[in-house]
Amino acid sequence: MAQTVLETRHIVKQFPKVLANDDINITLQEGEILCLLGENGAGKSTLMNVLYGLYQPTAGEILLDGKSVAFSSPRDAIDKGLGMVHQHFMLVETLTVTENIILGAEPGKGPQIDYKTARRQVQELSDRHGLRIDPDEKIMNLSVGLQQRVEILKALYRHAKILILDEPTAVLTPQEVEELFTVIRGLRDKGVSIIIITHKLDEVKAISDRVYILRRGRVEGEQRTADVTKEELASIMVGRDVVLTVERTSRKVSGEPVFSIEDLVVRDDRGVPSVNGLSLEVRPGEVVGIAGVDGNGQSELAEAIMGLRPVESGSMRHLGEDISHLSTRERIHRNISYVPADRHRFGLVLPFTVAENIAIGYHDRAPNSKFRGWSLDYAGMTKHAEALIGDFDIRTSGPSATAGNLSGGNQQKVILAREFTRDPSFLLVSQPTRGLDVGAIEYIHSQILAMRDKEVAVLMISLELEEIFSLADRILVLFEGKVVKEVRPEATDEREIGFYMTGGKERTA
Amino acid sequence: MKNVPRLLTILGVLLSVIGLVLWLGAAVDKGQPAYFWGLWLLVAAVGVHMVRVYLVSGRRELVDLIRRSARKMMVPLLGVGAAIVIGGILMLVTGYDPVRAYGALIYGGLVRNWHISVLNAAPLIFTALSVAFAFKAGLFNIGAEGQYYMGAMAATWLSLRLTLPGVVSIPLIFVFAGLFGVLWNIVPAYLKVRTGAHEVITTMMLAHTARYLSPIFIRANGGDPAFSTHPYVTDTIPETVWLPMFKDFLPRANYRVHTGILLAVVVALVIYYILYHTTIGFEIRAVGENKDAARAQGISVGKNIFRALLIAGFLAALAGFNQVNGLDHRLFENLQAGYGWNGISVALLAGGHPIGVVFTGLLWGTLDAGGQYMSRTTQTPSAIVEIVKGTILFLVVARYIYTAIGNWYRRRKQKKMIDSSIAAAEQVGA
Repeated sequence: MAQTVLETRHIVKQFPKVLANDDINITLQEGEILCLLGENGAGKSTLMNVLYGLYQPTAGEILLDGKSVAFSSPRDAIDKGLGMVHQHFMLVETLTVTENIILGAEPGKGPQIDYKTARRQVQELSDRHGLRIDPDEKIMNLSVGLQQRVEILKALYRHAKILILDEPTAVLTPQEVEELFTVIRGLRDKGVSIIIITHKLDEVKAISDRVYILRRGRVEGEQRTADVTKEELASIMVGRDVVLTVERTSRKVSGEPVFSIEDLVVRDDRGVPSVNGLSLEVRPGEVVGIAGVDGNGQSELAEAIMGLRPVESGSMRHLGEDISHLSTRERIHRNISYVPADRHRFGLVLPFTVAENIAIGYHDRAPNSKFRGWSLDYAGMTKHAEALIGDFDIRTSGPSATAGNLSGGNQQKVILAREFTRDPSFLLVSQPTRGLDVGAIEYIHSQILAMRDKEVAVLMISLELEEIFSLADRILVLFEGKVVKEVRPEATDEREIGFYMTGGKERTA
Repeated sequence: MKNVPRLLTILGVLLSVIGLVLWLGAAVDKGQPAYFWGLWLLVAAVGVHMVRVYLVSGRRELVDLIRRSARKMMVPLLGVGAAIVIGGILMLVTGYDPVRAYGALIYGGLVRNWHISVLNAAPLIFTALSVAFAFKAGLFNIGAEGQYYMGAMAATWLSLRLTLPGVVSIPLIFVFAGLFGVLWNIVPAYLKVRTGAHEVITTMMLAHTARYLSPIFIRANGGDPAFSTHPYVTDTIPETVWLPMFKDFLPRANYRVHTGILLAVVVALVIYYILYHTTIGFEIRAVGENKDAARAQGISVGKNIFRALLIAGFLAALAGFNQVNGLDHRLFENLQAGYGWNGISVALLAGGHPIGVVFTGLLWGTLDAGGQYMSRTTQTPSAIVEIVKGTILFLVVARYIYTAIGNWYRRRKQKKMIDSSIAAAEQVGA
């Protein structure tokens, strides 16, 4: 058996409100590719940040080559031969490949940098590991795949023996993924030990030798990749136990769809089509839940529906009319309501008062304004807000309280009060309970169901499978910008959804 | 009894209007300040307002109001106080008498040369309103100086050509000058919305452009050395388009003080109304505070950037109108006043609040006027005043330092609590 290069013993990491890592024991052998598999919030990234010296563990120890070590900063970890490639690259766009690689470890004497040596070293390193790259090119001119290569070279330049890759394929095209895997295998054959953090089952099967499955901060299983199927991995990752929190009666939904999307293509900020040929329909009085792993086009879809992001191709229809070229304002005035996933960024103007936050969007009409929408009517605005504070049980000192001073649950209630009382015919809800406590979650769920009972067409995007199962009448599974599966919740379970969410293909009987 | 609050409102407004006019129009009359008691009318107006709040909303509301105002004023007042102390120490160290110097500064700025303070303040209030307004939309109109020059040139040009009676022509010139400031900011606004070019760069570059346009303009309007006996100055504008003087209705007022300062106060009130009582102001503030949330609620970010920068241009150009039609009655070349640049300081000191700008503008004007008087009468270098001004600004803008210290302290306390609770949990576990 190969030698153990890295080991964690009983690692615990407690954040103020979350137990992110709970008694984690893992080992890494020399020259092996290890995967850490788990959903969002399972504690993978926390564990890696502990290993890399970014966090201090609350308890437990890290052993490197059998010796106990304590890293007080990434610098210590790097000195001991650890390298990390973050999901979001840490590169200086305007500098060259060589400059980025040597940054912080420049060769040369005193204040002088020996660029000639540096360039030669980078060239040698890239030749030796088959990571072809032009050392003089600027980072901003490189593709994402090549930028990642620079990150790997950066780690190798600092003599990394252990390389940690955080979601390395999240931003890559399929071809780039193939190239990356070739590079990783090459590194393994040269004796580098590699840890890959991922939530994609395909990747685990394609690249790893061994896999640890994490769920809710605990290691739920350890398997040799060759001995395990994707279905087995999915069931360990998602957990067998399905908890339905809300008793839900399945409803028969009829009528024309209020909102429909056909062959929608939307590009993300990098220009990659992250919604790629998506179609769906929402009928009055139903909740359609979109399940999927984060980063499969959810935010781009929501932004496109609200007119915040241009549509590349395809159509969106609301009450029979094409709305894909309307402005956000026009959509809001068509009674389309939106509860955004990021409530601090898109939902609220935090320095504004509660009353102003309830008025925004409809601030140019009664009761919020007078004189044909020119002048604000603070009296009307305050009265309206007071009524909604009562209806939605918002815990605040009053309409003139600053929204930023409210708790997360009450902030979300302000958004709900604003959006749900505008008489929507179509309601888009994105991750409505993210980061909220149990009481607030329950309340928000009941409000969403109340909207459904008022024959509103509800489209809900959520990363929480439990939420989808407790609210949705129909589940659409989103993977890489497409709906890959449509099921009714009573005809499936979390395990099956998890399988499709992570790119599992339909089993052909 | 029901009419008492309403009567008090009317009384308060009357008191403040009369007090303001008398105070700002005040001047020296044989070494004694005339109409200085106008200030006491203003103080009385504040008292009347507090009585009204007490009658309408009760004691608690009044205490709350006083506490809130005190908190708002605390940082600027502390900054001013600390800066004066630092300036005093500096004078002691360099061998000047701080008591005598500050005495001269206060006497010169607030009493003897109060008219100069007021004349200094008027253009500063306009440019500071411009900077403050753009600031509310999250924009930094650093090139107010350029819009000021454009306004001054436009005002001069039209003033030299209009032959209508003053009642008609003065408002026309007012609007015309403002529109040139608007025009000057169209380019930065367009570039910002279309390409994301930063307004700090574009407005600043255009500020220099406007400044170097002014000699050409002056040559073309009477300032040509080849023909004129007074080179580097435009022709004097006709008396019909001069802004009214305080002397016209207050016989003991200083002969130079014009009503531009009252115009500045009125414009400040209008800007306050636009920002806090109209939907346009609401949208501008929403974009300034969180443009993503504003956009998600259908508020156009680009449209409001345009609005904010164009209105800012209008306001800064009014400073030019104020100087040409109020004070100088012609346009000078090499006018090194820097009202545009100083307006940034005045706006920052007021925390971007349009009403606050009136007070900080007067403070700045007073420090300048008093500083001149101080250096003339006590031979203390006026650079001391510049140091005091810089220190005030630093200490006020650095209020973020106080916030940061407060946050750090709170975080440390929190961390300690968590650590001790973990330690306690571990002990229980063991």
